[in-house]
Amino acid sequence: LCRGGLAERLCRLQNRERSAISFWRHQCISDDNTPSDKSGVLIVKILEIFEECTIQVAICQQLAQSPVTLSPEDAVINAEEPILKVLFTRETAAHLKSRPQDIIHIYPPWQKLLLQNADVPVIMNTYFSQKVLLSEHSEAREKTYGLKKTLIRKNIISLAQTFRLDDLDDKLHQEPSDNQVACAAQIRNNRDSKQHPLALNAVNDSLLEMVESQGAVGWREVQVRVVIQRVYCLPAREGCRSHTQGNKPLLSNGGMFCRLCLLVQDAYGMFSEVQLQSLSSTDDIEQYCRRWEGKSCCLAGMKILQRTTRGRALGLFSLIDSLWPPAVPLKVPGQSQDSEMMTTNLPPPSFCYILTVQSGEIHVEVDEEEQISNLYQPPAVHGLKEILRINGCNRRCSFWAQVLYQRLQTKHSVPIDQRDILLFVTDSTLQNVVHGIPKVVAVSVTASCVLSMEIGEALSAGSPLVFFKDALWGDGRIICVERTVLLLQKPLLCSAAGADLSELTGPVRLDELDSTTQANSICALRGTVVGVNESTAFSWPICDRCGNGKLELCPQDRELLYCNQCSKVVTTPVLKMQLEVFLSCPSRSQSTVKVKVWHEIRVALFVLLTMLLFLQTYEVQSVLGKEVGLLNCYVHSVTSHPNSVALEEIVLL
Amino acid sequence: MDSSTLPAVAEELLREIKKAFQESSHGRDTFSSRLKFIFGPSAVPALDLVDQRSVTRLRSPSGRTLYQVLGSSGKLYTCYSSCHFCTCPAFGFSVLQKSESLLCKHILAVYLSQALGACQELSVSEEQLTNILLAEEEDEG
Repeated sequence: LCRGGLAERLCRLQNRERSAISFWRHQCISDDNTPSDKSGVLIVKILEIFEECTIQVAICQQLAQSPVTLSPEDAVINAEEPILKVLFTRETAAHLKSRPQDIIHIYPPWQKLLLQNADVPVIMNTYFSQKVLLSEHSEAREKTYGLKKTLIRKNIISLAQTFRLDDLDDKLHQEPSDNQVACAAQIRNNRDSKQHPLALNAVNDSLLEMVESQGAVGWREVQVRVVIQRVYCLPAREGCRSHTQGNKPLLSNGGMFCRLCLLVQDAYGMFSEVQLQSLSSTDDIEQYCRRWEGKSCCLAGMKILQRTTRGRALGLFSLIDSLWPPAVPLKVPGQSQDSEMMTTNLPPPSFCYILTVQSGEIHVEVDEEEQISNLYQPPAVHGLKEILRINGCNRRCSFWAQVLYQRLQTKHSVPIDQRDILLFVTDSTLQNVVHGIPKVVAVSVTASCVLSMEIGEALSAGSPLVFFKDALWGDGRIICVERTVLLLQKPLLCSAAGADLSELTGPVRLDELDSTTQANSICALRGTVVGVNESTAFSWPICDRCGNGKLELCPQDRELLYCNQCSKVVTTPVLKMQLEVFLSCPSRSQSTVKVKVWHEIRVALFVLLTMLLFLQTYEVQSVLGKEVGLLNCYVHSVTSHPNSVALEEIVLL
Repeated sequence: MDSSTLPAVAEELLREIKKAFQESSHGRDTFSSRLKFIFGPSAVPALDLVDQRSVTRLRSPSGRTLYQVLGSSGKLYTCYSSCHFCTCPAFGFSVLQKSESLLCKHILAVYLSQALGACQELSVSEEQLTNILLAEEEDEG
């Protein structure tokens, strides 16, 4: 049962009632006097009995006083006495063994219900009922009758008799949305314009109080006002029972479902991560960031997923640390509104609650129209040059950079959608430097960092400018992990911290190959061809649609090429030529530099065949000694014994 | 008196619940014990289904509605709007066969969700609604 839910409350009530009833019955058996006329006791005489389902319905006449005082002759039906319909449960009925003409005393707490279209009131909750015997004759009669089974008429209720919960006036307003607006603690669609405020309950401003009052009566209606510091996506551990209604769910790099999450902070400085619904692929995380970050919102009816600590959730706390100390003084619990605490020396929080919503509902109402809260701390944007100089580990940093090249990691054991992506980025702070600092930095994007479809498309289309929000810096590397968000547009609010975020002027320059070049980086080189690895010289046609390198001859016409993956004839294949050359590079003269160069030419089939024939007759001699201009390359490996560098020519985005 | 009593009582109770809920959150314990009195063993499980937000109303463009309730075992049961009917086995047994209850816990949960505004809404096409109804037939056939 849900803690604090309606069912649990009813259970508790039931248990109380059950013990009260059995105690009362026990008491009645032990004292066999007729009860005196206590107030609240209903005295009825049964006229007729029938059954409906397991409830026994007794049409009764209400008696003004106990008929014990009247003689049996007076006990006639007085037409002016009010008629009642008394309901008994199966257990009570079995205990009473009522028959027409019996007198029953019904003790409180019985309840009266007035029906809309009927005159006769209904009496229910008649657990505490007792039959009163008028005389000795009755007792004897009772005993004999007790042996015979009485037949009681049973009414079968028609299934067609449904219940109408609306009044006649309500019939005009049967829209479901009206129902929801009228009730407290309800679903709110965040994207609609300003709704009615949530219920009349007071709004709390302490997350800790809300968490601690979980399970208490009425906790569901408690609302907490918080500020949204960050909006991001987290890959969900298990598949969610999401109500995305047919839209394809947004899958992270790791192929897992993604949930929209908020990092919120209350007026006392406490943080909480709120996990909301799953996102569909059409949802735009960028929109949510833009509309929600910095705004206040009300949370209600959250479920606590866990209480986590610094040691267990390094990623979450590195983000919290980047938001500490707070921008405004915090409130102190227990003290009056006016006294606030200085925050400069407060240690950052050591625990954080992770909250979630019940499936399908949103208990979050964001004041989109309102101003940005003072408590909000926008991401501090720095130039890459400054970031590379940060001391320390596990620090969150935000920057705005141009992506030059992307590369998937090559571990074949890992499925494609779960591999890390390496992005090579630069900005004006790196490009304008003379020496000592690399011109290009590699940013590793792990599978746990969710990339939206827009980013993916932008990366394949060209060389986009990307805003990296809350990336992690440590060990000399920048990595994008959980809670890092890549956006195409600069957020409206961000503290520039004096960084020069101007656009890059002129073409991008890469570092030149030299003794400090590391593996898995990109660089430019120039040199002279000193050798050709003939065994690696290949040229072959590839499909122009899918890049399939294994084309076959058409079975029907052996002069045409056929692609199995596209299941089509390839009319304009692309000729891919690859060659490994050895260069002598003055910038790294001690090493053997081996570069895999390749070239693709899109040609008509006729030309292709001619060229293939032609290429097979080239001579190595003609290539030796040729100067190779500034070539952009990706460094595969750097070894010291033997001293060699293996690279591959690349094309920048 | 030949007209039935219990359905009218149940209906009035549910209306009161709806009104009470709309106006304030007080007085809930009062209607809870009345619920228990009238509906017996279905009351607590039905309230539990409401707490879990298990009831969804499906509406098609023509205005036809259907209810689906996610039972505690994870199985989805269908309840009709036009009459009291549920595809769960308890309904077949308690209501149809033995006439021991007015409703099963799922139908009660539907009414309570309506009264408390805890129904989830889902718009479906005519075809989808038809398929749901036909699917029930296939299981039993």
